[in-house]
Amino acid sequence: MAAERRPTGFRLVGRYGLLAFVAFVTLFPIYTTLVAAFKPGDKVLVNPLVPDSFTLEPLMTAWSDGHLGRYLFNSFVVAAVVTIAQVVTSLLSGYAFAMLDFPGRHVLFALFLATLLVPIEATLVVNRRTVDTLGWLNTYQGLALPFLATAFGTFLVRQALLAVPGELRDAARIDGAGHLAFLRYVALPVIVPTVGALALFSFLSSWNQYLWPNLITTEESMNTVQSGLTLLRRSSLDEPNALMAGTVIAAVPIFAALLIFQRSLVRGLTSGAVKG
Amino acid sequence: MESRAFDRRRWRQLPVALGLLAPSAIILGAFIVYPIVKSVFLGTERCNASGTRCVEGGWDQYTDTFRSTEFQHALWVTAKFALITVPLGLALGIGLAVLAHKHLAGVSVFRAIFSSTVATSVAVASLMWLFLLQPSVGVLSNVGWIADAFPVVKQPGLLNDPDTALWSVGLSSVWANLGFTFIIITAGLQGIPDDVYEAAALDGAGGSRRFWAITLPLLGPSLLFVLIVLTSRAFQAYGEIDLLTEGGPRPDDSTTTITYLTYGRNSIMATDLGLQATTAVLLFVVLLGLSFLQLWSLGRRVHYGD
Amino acid sequence: MRRAALPALVVAASLLVAACGSGESAITAGQDDPADTDADNDAVATDDADASTPDSTPDDAGDETDGTSPTDSGDETDGGDETTASTPDTTPTEVSLDEYPACPTDALDGADGPVEITYWHGMTADNEEALQFVTEQYNASQDRVVVELQNQGGYLEVIDKYYQSGASGRPDLVMFPEYGFQQAIDSETIVPVEACVRDAGFDTAVIQPSAIQAYSTAGVQWGMPFNVSNPILYYNELIFEAAGLDPDQPPTTFDELRAMSQQIVDSGAASYGIALDTNIDSGGGWFIEQWFANAGELFVDNGNGREALPTEVLFDQATGVEIVTFLRDMVADGLAVNVGDNAGGSDNFLKMADAADPAAMTIGTSAGLGTVINVLGSGLVEGLTPDDVGVGGLPGPSAEQTAIVGGAANYVVAGDDPEVVAAAWDFLTYLISPEVQSEWAVRTGYLPIVDQAIELEPLATTYANDPRFRVAYTQLANSPNDLAHAGPQIGPHRQVRDETAAALAAIYNGADIESTLAAAAATSNALLQQYIALNG
Repeated sequence: MAAERRPTGFRLVGRYGLLAFVAFVTLFPIYTTLVAAFKPGDKVLVNPLVPDSFTLEPLMTAWSDGHLGRYLFNSFVVAAVVTIAQVVTSLLSGYAFAMLDFPGRHVLFALFLATLLVPIEATLVVNRRTVDTLGWLNTYQGLALPFLATAFGTFLVRQALLAVPGELRDAARIDGAGHLAFLRYVALPVIVPTVGALALFSFLSSWNQYLWPNLITTEESMNTVQSGLTLLRRSSLDEPNALMAGTVIAAVPIFAALLIFQRSLVRGLTSGAVKG
Repeated sequence: MESRAFDRRRWRQLPVALGLLAPSAIILGAFIVYPIVKSVFLGTERCNASGTRCVEGGWDQYTDTFRSTEFQHALWVTAKFALITVPLGLALGIGLAVLAHKHLAGVSVFRAIFSSTVATSVAVASLMWLFLLQPSVGVLSNVGWIADAFPVVKQPGLLNDPDTALWSVGLSSVWANLGFTFIIITAGLQGIPDDVYEAAALDGAGGSRRFWAITLPLLGPSLLFVLIVLTSRAFQAYGEIDLLTEGGPRPDDSTTTITYLTYGRNSIMATDLGLQATTAVLLFVVLLGLSFLQLWSLGRRVHYGD
Repeated sequence: MRRAALPALVVAASLLVAACGSGESAITAGQDDPADTDADNDAVATDDADASTPDSTPDDAGDETDGTSPTDSGDETDGGDETTASTPDTTPTEVSLDEYPACPTDALDGADGPVEITYWHGMTADNEEALQFVTEQYNASQDRVVVELQNQGGYLEVIDKYYQSGASGRPDLVMFPEYGFQQAIDSETIVPVEACVRDAGFDTAVIQPSAIQAYSTAGVQWGMPFNVSNPILYYNELIFEAAGLDPDQPPTTFDELRAMSQQIVDSGAASYGIALDTNIDSGGGWFIEQWFANAGELFVDNGNGREALPTEVLFDQATGVEIVTFLRDMVADGLAVNVGDNAGGSDNFLKMADAADPAAMTIGTSAGLGTVINVLGSGLVEGLTPDDVGVGGLPGPSAEQTAIVGGAANYVVAGDDPEVVAAAWDFLTYLISPEVQSEWAVRTGYLPIVDQAIELEPLATTYANDPRFRVAYTQLANSPNDLAHAGPQIGPHRQVRDETAAALAAIYNGADIESTLAAAAATSNALLQQYIALNG
């Protein structure tokens, strides 16, 4: 129960007032975006705070001319591929580090963790050339490839597996063979929450990639939502309502998804703070 | 200590282990280790625009670049950006989390609102703020009384004034990160057992004393996590700068951070593959230094990891 | 305490770092250290390049991987007779193109089906829609070529992405702005348009000679101009009338600009005579180059960079000091207002529309005329209708109003497939056909580069009804065909503009003119040397 006395009277009003004020400030950019996204072009600069007219035209423009449907699809494909791949590769490597004892295990694990120290921005110069050499500019492979594995996921899975009861781990040792089956049918069910968190985290990170798709996309149809918005911003500042409509379209899927996955979201985000 | 049988079994497990590690190792090797190693050597060269012809510049290209006016300026801008976004983001996150942690009716609505910006990607958040701040089509400059009271929003515009541009980008960044910060700290707050507060209340500790003596210390791991994430986001900020200011306003380049200097659309580094690699490696080194600083100054005080 | 520790450490580290700053630009990184051994400095990382190698021998003709720069051929032609030598068709002895990729313009005839080509451009907003319109018409009008437009978001993105891409990632046709000209040549990835012109027997005499000249060196035309613009003066006729000036007589020279600004300010008709800016693509760079041409002066040495790669910028010499002094005095005396960086190119126009502190005039690209008229037509600016805006030529140091070709040109990208090259050429010729140029000019405000276009609809009507659209065209047609008006040809062109823009901004803020320009020139010269070292 409440450790504090419930605030009453004046203090209660003050607290709600403060909450409401902060909520207003937080929502303000979202509000103005929504207002603009549903205004016709000649009204958008007049009374930008008041939704005094309504049209779906900006949404149509952004959807058709801005190709946002296509970009959403691309983002979804890439994020899904990256998520599945990260979960699989992390399960395999995390399992190896947690369940197997082999020479060089500590060195290898340290090497894995060391890759976390490298900011993604420091690798893109060369990665762009690599993907170009493979002929994979403007492809899903190119967009996803560098992110198919992550030491962070490996670490998460390993930590989760280390917490698995000793008897289960012994079973794995004795068995010796059938590691994949063991992983699939014994270990995985135990660490489902961790895997879910990892998947959500992977999906969001991939969805939010900004620099990489901007670097390797030269065909409009292969933009992700993020690089597509960049293109829209460069070419449509003279149609602010369409630009804002595009922003709304780009934001809606994640808003919706997060409403559904609210619980795992918290777990996914906090999973970075493992063993706090 | 290690018997021969045990040793043999370890060796026998090696092929299986390597097989399981291979997918991760190949990707990490090809797209993290190889690029950084390759960049280190590329960073000693100067190249023409298409990167087809490079001239060896020597290892001092790193020191020259590090000491150059462009890099020094970008480093300073990056540090300022971090100093704006990290403390502000942290303070707001704590404030909101504590505010919404009170047991009030309807507080879950406010929680949802405060978490909402976590759903915005950097592009979405930046475009929202662009539409707020842009001097000709932006909201602020088209609301009469705001434009009258603060002429700077219209002329030259908050994003175009060298004095306000970095703050404006910083605010949009703080806003975009607020949802994340709020969620983490709220989770941390919920992890603090109520009986701790009850005990403190029995001891007669007041609200602010409880906050400083109990809440903050017990939030330690959450705050540390938020701090690390916000700092690294500040040092790697790119999208918000690209969409809001393109590193400008020029010629001061008031918002050209190291990452933007490396990849930005107006950057002199981006036209020379060698110099770009030099800058990227220096970014790595700076962040590495920062990581060690974080470990050194914070990690030893909070038990973190196993 | 704990939370304060990190920021404090960051500050401390930053201060330490700042203390070891060299005060030098990264341009010279790894290049200028006297401690470097020569072997280190001159070692060439790739095997295909040697800066000191003269022209290649004819036997490695057409070999794209050959490292010798095509521009070297310019060294040997005589640059003294520039007015004739730089117009390809009148060159007495044709320059050999054997060492460049060929342009078999008849290869389309052998194609099995429609040839698809990709075209990268940087057109945005209304201009992008116009380009889409003419491209769709082209695709619908014939069945041999299908053009796929790829908008990269702007000129800068086109350039960046083009050079970051290897052969497989490049488009078949690419649009570079005028400041991308030298880089395009040195990239060794393009088919000189000259090869196509000769192969097809195309008559370039129909094209404005200055537009051809701008994209040619030593008798070789590299790119095909498409969207050509130049800076013009926009002014508020209502303010001119209020100040007692003739709204049909805008200033044509610097002196008149100053006198009229003085009259406008003195009469109280407006707060400022003119709004100036320091953007690299306008007041801080492009306009300065225009004013150099107008003064009949070269901006860089080696014949404005058209005889050989330039080694030295000339903007810090007498002409540059005069131009910048004029601008600085205008601002310092309150006759002009500096709107600063002017990113997006609208702040100077907004200053004209500013109700409280308006400026009577501003300078902008002619490509913006259509947008200005559209915006005013929508009633966005109270009390200013499209008809109230007058347009004049660019006032400059000389009594004649002249200009350099601005805008962009299209380049055929070298590739293995002759059909694709031929298809790209076919589309190029379509884009400069009188019909398309007429449509294009009306929809965008770019000026037509073929004279016939102005007699065709819709442009004929527009020019007849609204002479404002004709100003830029007349200005370019009046420009002499000399090296000054060919415009500077600089490898690191954009970076040099960066330097002039930064210098001008500093000077507006009170910095000393001569020393600031000298410092900017020194950095620019380092850039030029750097470019020669990597491309020469």
